[in-house]
Amino acid sequence: MVADMLAWVPSFAGSVAAMAQHGAEAVRGAAQEAASHGPAVEAAGAGVGGIALPGMGSKLYGLIPLLPLLGCAVCGLLAALKVKSKLPAWMTVVLLGASFILTAVMFNDVSVKGHGAPVVSHLFEWIRVHWGMGERATSLVANFAFYIDSLTCLWMLFVTGLGTLIALYASEYMSHDVGAGYCRFFAAFNLFVFSMACLVMGDNLLLLYLGWEGVGLCSYLLIGYFYKKPSAVAAAKKAFIVNRIGDLGLALGVMLAFVHFGSLEYSVIFEKAGPYIAAMKAGRLEEIPAIVQLIPVLLMVGAFGKSAQLPLYVWLPDAMEGPTPVSALIHAATMVTAGVYLVARAYPLFLLSEIALPIVAWTGALTALLAATIGMAQFDIKRIMAYSTVSQLGYMFAGLGVLTSAGAGFHVFTHAFFKAMLFLSCGAVMHGFAGQLDLRKLSGVGKVPGWRIVSMAMLVGCLNLAGFPVITAGYWSKDMILGGAFANPHMQAIGWILLVTAGLTAYYTFRVYFRVFAGPVEYEPGDELHAHGDDGHGHDGHAPEGRATTGHASEGHATSEHFHPHAPGWAINTVLAVLAVSAFAVIGLRFIGGHEGWAADMVEQSTARYEGAAAYEMAGGHAAGSGHAGASGHALFFGFDAHKAMMVVSGIVGLIGIAAAFYLHYAGRTTAARAKADALLPAMGPVAGWAQHKWYVDELYDFLIVKPLWVLSNIFHLIDKLLVDGLVNVLGWIPRAMGGVLRPSQSGLLHNYAVGMAGGIALLLLIVVLVTRS
Amino acid sequence: MMERVTYLYPEIALFITTCIVMIVGLSRELKHRKLCAPISGLGLLAAGVLATGLVPGFHVATGAEVDPTAGQILLPNLVPYAKVLVAGVGILLLLLQAGTVDRVEEARIASGRAAFNPLRSNRAEYYAFFLFSLTGLMLCASADDLIWLFLALELTSLPTYIMVTMSTSRHSSQEAGVKYFFLGALGAAVFLYGFTLLYGATGSTNLNQIHHAIAAGGLSGLSLAGMLLALLGVCFKIAAVPMHFYTADVYQGAASSVSAFLAFVPKTAGFIAILLLASCAGWTHGAGDSLPDALRTVLWVIAALTMTVGNVLAIWQNSVKRILAYSSIAHSGYMLVGVVAGPGGGTFATSGIAAVLFYLLCYGVMNIGTFGVLACLEGRAGADGEPAEIESLDDLRGLCQRHPVLGWTMVICTLSLLGLPPLLGFFGKVPLFTSAISAGEIPLVVVLGLNSAIAAFYYLRIVGSCLLEKPETTTGIVRVTPFGSRPAGALASAAGVIVLAIFGNGFMAASEKAAAYDGGHVEKKEPRAAGVPETAPQALGPAKAEGH
Repeated sequence: MVADMLAWVPSFAGSVAAMAQHGAEAVRGAAQEAASHGPAVEAAGAGVGGIALPGMGSKLYGLIPLLPLLGCAVCGLLAALKVKSKLPAWMTVVLLGASFILTAVMFNDVSVKGHGAPVVSHLFEWIRVHWGMGERATSLVANFAFYIDSLTCLWMLFVTGLGTLIALYASEYMSHDVGAGYCRFFAAFNLFVFSMACLVMGDNLLLLYLGWEGVGLCSYLLIGYFYKKPSAVAAAKKAFIVNRIGDLGLALGVMLAFVHFGSLEYSVIFEKAGPYIAAMKAGRLEEIPAIVQLIPVLLMVGAFGKSAQLPLYVWLPDAMEGPTPVSALIHAATMVTAGVYLVARAYPLFLLSEIALPIVAWTGALTALLAATIGMAQFDIKRIMAYSTVSQLGYMFAGLGVLTSAGAGFHVFTHAFFKAMLFLSCGAVMHGFAGQLDLRKLSGVGKVPGWRIVSMAMLVGCLNLAGFPVITAGYWSKDMILGGAFANPHMQAIGWILLVTAGLTAYYTFRVYFRVFAGPVEYEPGDELHAHGDDGHGHDGHAPEGRATTGHASEGHATSEHFHPHAPGWAINTVLAVLAVSAFAVIGLRFIGGHEGWAADMVEQSTARYEGAAAYEMAGGHAAGSGHAGASGHALFFGFDAHKAMMVVSGIVGLIGIAAAFYLHYAGRTTAARAKADALLPAMGPVAGWAQHKWYVDELYDFLIVKPLWVLSNIFHLIDKLLVDGLVNVLGWIPRAMGGVLRPSQSGLLHNYAVGMAGGIALLLLIVVLVTRS
Repeated sequence: MMERVTYLYPEIALFITTCIVMIVGLSRELKHRKLCAPISGLGLLAAGVLATGLVPGFHVATGAEVDPTAGQILLPNLVPYAKVLVAGVGILLLLLQAGTVDRVEEARIASGRAAFNPLRSNRAEYYAFFLFSLTGLMLCASADDLIWLFLALELTSLPTYIMVTMSTSRHSSQEAGVKYFFLGALGAAVFLYGFTLLYGATGSTNLNQIHHAIAAGGLSGLSLAGMLLALLGVCFKIAAVPMHFYTADVYQGAASSVSAFLAFVPKTAGFIAILLLASCAGWTHGAGDSLPDALRTVLWVIAALTMTVGNVLAIWQNSVKRILAYSSIAHSGYMLVGVVAGPGGGTFATSGIAAVLFYLLCYGVMNIGTFGVLACLEGRAGADGEPAEIESLDDLRGLCQRHPVLGWTMVICTLSLLGLPPLLGFFGKVPLFTSAISAGEIPLVVVLGLNSAIAAFYYLRIVGSCLLEKPETTTGIVRVTPFGSRPAGALASAAGVIVLAIFGNGFMAASEKAAAYDGGHVEKKEPRAAGVPETAPQALGPAKAEGH
């Protein structure tokens, strides 16, 4: 009944039956589309569009998100059964591993065998609403269907792959919480992977939105995992609220896309955007309506929120309150790249706007620089990594903005690996040193027995992040973005900003490495028995103190003889080793495949491909920076080809940064707390302090937005209480008063009732007489 | 003539059952007397099955087959739906009737303090009246003539006067019965007067021919007066303003099981009569495909007043039975909106007739749940050994904690009466809204919406009492009734509220089919509205997917 009356069919059962029929139609439709290079719709065992796919192949892809969903449900069940073992973790690892294998199969089918031709895998009809009549008839159809092309595969490979590895890591990391908390953690973890898969794989903007909100929810739940800790709760709320601002933009963008294109499905939207793209190619930008140009701007707001770009980046550093595996997976490798994914997926739409991509480029570059300067002045190593994530995300957006979406895609991929590794290494330190994260209180960790693998992994991660020439994947991916920026004559300024940022990045990265992992062995434990949270600054008097303060005779006095850091176990070490190896392995991806490597091929095979960019070039509006060999319009970098020059220049900049860190933070350092860099502080005046206080951005937002809103809310509260409540109470009083007036009519006396009936009839007849007279 | 009989198979089945029950109920053996209720149930089941027309050899004739010129062919598909509905809800009502009469007497006989005396036993006549009333209700649906309609209406009502009076041994029941009878007689006088005026104006008592006359010559002053008085008189049956005064007193005075009966049976009879009379006047004869203006105005005013008066009076009550009585008035007002809306485009969402017919089913089911819970709860026994009725809101406090099944039944059914979305009441109310909107009756829709909001006030009080409040130590509830079929009936209706909300498509389709209005088969001043479905008179088929 529900279904028929609201024409709303969210049921599995009905759609399974409808699927076969839908499939048959799809084959017919796709056969017609095949000629025009439309998306190949695979259905019921029939391969179309020149791709031969296995019978149930594309339906099988549905398991990729469904397995984590199952995991979430089972974790909930285990929590209800009060299971006190590591069962949730092992189950998560197995399910996510299976998901990863399926993703690999999908990758093989779609990207390798199918050369990236999009495949739509229709699972079931999700939402179908019709309204209006005749010409105004509109229908909103959103299927639970997956749009799978190379971009999808690229993202899903690292989402499920890293998800599996980090789940394994978390099995050990979260072991102090075995019980209800353990189940809760892995339930949210699984739900996150499910949501992320919906976001990345969905074939329409609504499914993307579902996943978008889903990952936001999981992020909120996991940041606030230590819900008894006020700072964690505050951070969770901050992340959620800041994201809402972005989500509003996304929601408006999705609605506007529906209003204008009449559909939410990518294939339909891109098809209908075709004429505009043609117009843009011909240089007739005035033919593109403003509403179409507004869509990417709104989508961009959503992307900036989720991917922590200016001005909405403030939630991400605070999000480090969550357990470190969460920081690694959600807030470094996967979720925060959702914004990059959105821009890449909707790249054809972004190309239609004159302002969208330049805004993306500038925002990305400025965010990269700002976050890097803040990162240089922080002492909490996890927070430094958080700012570096913001900074690197800025890189990716800048890459998209300067029309090297391939570079952005490649950087997303490499960054996912090395940043996850960096976080996991920091997490291992935090786990082993009772929550200690202050780089002034840790030194020479690499020389402590049992920390060799962590230290090696950290080194590999740092080299990648710093862009150490040639031998690191981070170098190659960053180089593509820098080259793209300098190759684009309109984007030279962005190139310079990014180049400076690259130097700063190398410096602050190796500042962490040289302070914490190299130098004399010295450490003091953090203030937590278990590695809860990361509040590295909260050293109260009750904290056990280490060698650095041996002169201090207090109740909680303890030396490092009493405190033994517990070295990471096999799970953490295995994961770090695997990641370190894969961080090197991904370099190979640069050299297989086409001109710019495998990842570039993957991006080019998708909706983020360069055809639109080439069109830009023809339109004369911007020169393409795609990096295709021999492409005309390449700007030169001091007379050299920008790409080739960047290989050298960015490498040198990176080395300079590392050298600076070596000199300032390693050479001649004898204690954990002080290094040569401290001598520079007076010279810098207040600037260092400003950077350490994150340029007072939080305080600025507090003053500009939070305080006025608070005042406003108090005013509204008063209005609500006095005026609105008063009105509502009056409205509620009216029927009661009417009842009070009518009550005497129910006297219980027979003759009164009879008179009432007769009088009523007479009155009604009188009304009729009056009506018919007039 | 044989067609006339095949038309009435269900009624004949019920009549035969009634005769058997009357005899069996007078047996000296308790085990024979106890068969009254099962036999009645079987009779209702048989009537329901026969009404579907699916039984081989028992083809149910259509109005056109009975008499091509004079048979009931204005609403040609109404009969099977109405009869199946009556039989189905009748079985639910039957479950609540256990132990309503003869309880004290049977206890005395069982304890040996008295011998069985047929003159003191009421069981036989009680079940007989119950079945007679339902027979009358089925006959209403079959009516093709004013005299038939009058007799059927009275056959429905007369037994209820007696049932109210004998339902308890308290004075309040007798008072209620007397009030009900006299006011009912007044109502009957009004519509009988209307019928005579109609006869005088058109020269016929046959509905079809009256329709012919009105369609051909329009509503004359006399026929308008007749039609108005007929509708106003029938308003007594549905407890609509201004004929509503008796409702609260009578429902309160009668036993809860009988109140449940009163809220469904006379109301259904009244609505069927109103639908038949309105179809005589012609839904497509007014401006913009509505009833003739005068009738539309009166029904509009009655609908708006009825729901408003019912709801605002309910707010003041502390007696659950009175609240439910006023809510019954309000629901009549809701359904009158469907009557005003008329057949519309003929689809379920646009046809007010379909909305009324479907809402009768919804209201019957959820209403039995609320009265059924009251019938399940017993207060202290009086001097004669008869337990007091439970009716105060205070008595229901914490019902969900003390008797979870009954408490939740009450909560679910009350929320459904309120029209809360996932429940049956919501799906019943939506077509009332949509049909009125498509008929352009926007102000009435606004009144309907406001009243739905006002109704939340008192329904939520019941829900709050049962669900949120702590059980009272000084409650009037002593125990749950020993008659197992009462909770079964209440529970079945609560289940129906949920199940029909999910799997009610068959009933919706059936009510849509039953609402087919053939008002255009006579020559008219203007061509028929395009949306009205083509319903050949012989198109009468079995209502789909029904039968309890």
